[in-house]
Amino acid sequence: MEVVSLNQISPDQVILWSWNFITINVTILYTWLVMAILVGGSHLITRNLSSEMNVSRWQHFLEVVISIIRGEISEMTKKGADHYVPLVGTLFLFICVSNVLVIVPGFVAPTSSMTTTAALATCVFIAVPFYGISRNGLLHYVKEYFQPTFIFFPFHVMGELSRTLALTVRLFGNIMSHEKVIGILLAVTPFLFPVVMQILGLLIGVIQAYIFAILSMVYIASALSAEDEAHTAVKKEGSGA
Amino acid sequence: MHIDWFVFLAQIFNFLLLMYLLKRFLYGRIIKAMDDREAKIAARFAEAEALQAKAQEEARLYEQRNQMLNEKKEVMLNEATMAADAKRRELMEKVREEVDTVKTRWQEMLLREQDAFFYDLRQRAAKQLYATARKALSDLADEELEDRIIEEFLRRLQALDAEKSRQLRLAITGGGNRVTVQSAFGIPAPRQSQIEEVLKKQITNGFTIRYLHEPDVVSGIELRVNGHKIAWSLNEYLETLVESLTETLQKEAHAA
Repeated sequence: MEVVSLNQISPDQVILWSWNFITINVTILYTWLVMAILVGGSHLITRNLSSEMNVSRWQHFLEVVISIIRGEISEMTKKGADHYVPLVGTLFLFICVSNVLVIVPGFVAPTSSMTTTAALATCVFIAVPFYGISRNGLLHYVKEYFQPTFIFFPFHVMGELSRTLALTVRLFGNIMSHEKVIGILLAVTPFLFPVVMQILGLLIGVIQAYIFAILSMVYIASALSAEDEAHTAVKKEGSGA
Repeated sequence: MHIDWFVFLAQIFNFLLLMYLLKRFLYGRIIKAMDDREAKIAARFAEAEALQAKAQEEARLYEQRNQMLNEKKEVMLNEATMAADAKRRELMEKVREEVDTVKTRWQEMLLREQDAFFYDLRQRAAKQLYATARKALSDLADEELEDRIIEEFLRRLQALDAEKSRQLRLAITGGGNRVTVQSAFGIPAPRQSQIEEVLKKQITNGFTIRYLHEPDVVSGIELRVNGHKIAWSLNEYLETLVESLTETLQKEAHAA
């Protein structure tokens, strides 16, 4: 008995429309859906924002979410948290909403596609040097790859690549496997147990979103702090001489 | 695992687009709203602190003013008390003076009444004494009381010392050589002659004598000449009697 077909292992395989190399599959469709929900909801809530003491419940909710994200970022970067909120916050919100919507029948989380997780991890991979260079300059950033000696350069590069790969596979594996587990359980024990797994799936989905966002921030922060420390050490040496 | 590179790039684009849209519609607005609120709260806190500081300053000023008013009140109260005391003393003094005046006036009036009373008493007593003595003398001896009085008067004239005689002489000469003899009773002609003789012998010649019947000279006879007087009357005795009576009455009054 075939529980899950190979095509269903990833929503990428379900192609809705195709023309030459342009392919619109379920992943892209549901990504757009999540984007529409996030952007539309944000617009609806934030079009009548109030800076007074009396605010709407939705505004409260969004303020709490943003405050938590800012707080988490601030703990790691110490300063300039608002600079990283768009990247980290969007990662968290997108992954979280994608994973939570799994409970809607027929919805397939875009994060269960490795293409999506790879794209997100690539964004982080690019963001780390982008923020590092934009903050401390190219030279300082590149010098970090040769610390403590040039021999470590390949290891640094491997580290960057491997953690990007880890980000990709961790999210993809968790979400995809969960969906498949639910699918299998539906076939084996159609009552009650899949509901418990769904609840567990919601928890896992939120945790994975948090982990992805926090790890991204950790990577960025580690690059920033390493550069900061090196920068500070150079300054101290200069002033000591 | 198969990766569709178009989908991969599309997802990167989608993510960047989502990031941009959320930044525009969510983060920017929410963060701005939160920051604005924070700034407003901070401003309110600052305003509240300023108001509190102002209130504390005003409370301090009020306390200071209150203290000043209290001190001023105390001073004014003291001044008013002192003024009232002074006024009271002044009024008391005035009243005391008035009372003293009234008392003095009353005492004077009392004294006058007392004097008038004793004068009147003396007059009555003298008359009574005179009448009594006269009656007694006329009952006891067979001669007129007037004779005795005249006898006594003559004895006094004869007993005058040289100095007194000289003074009388000078007085008679200075008074136009006129001598007046007053008596409470009529003096018979022989007795008038005796008096003239004694006077001529004792003092001087060359004067005219005039006899006046004056009931006020109580049971007596007196010689008046230009401010000088020689007399005998019951007045002397009566005065002693009146003095002793006055003393007794005053003692009685004080005891009462």
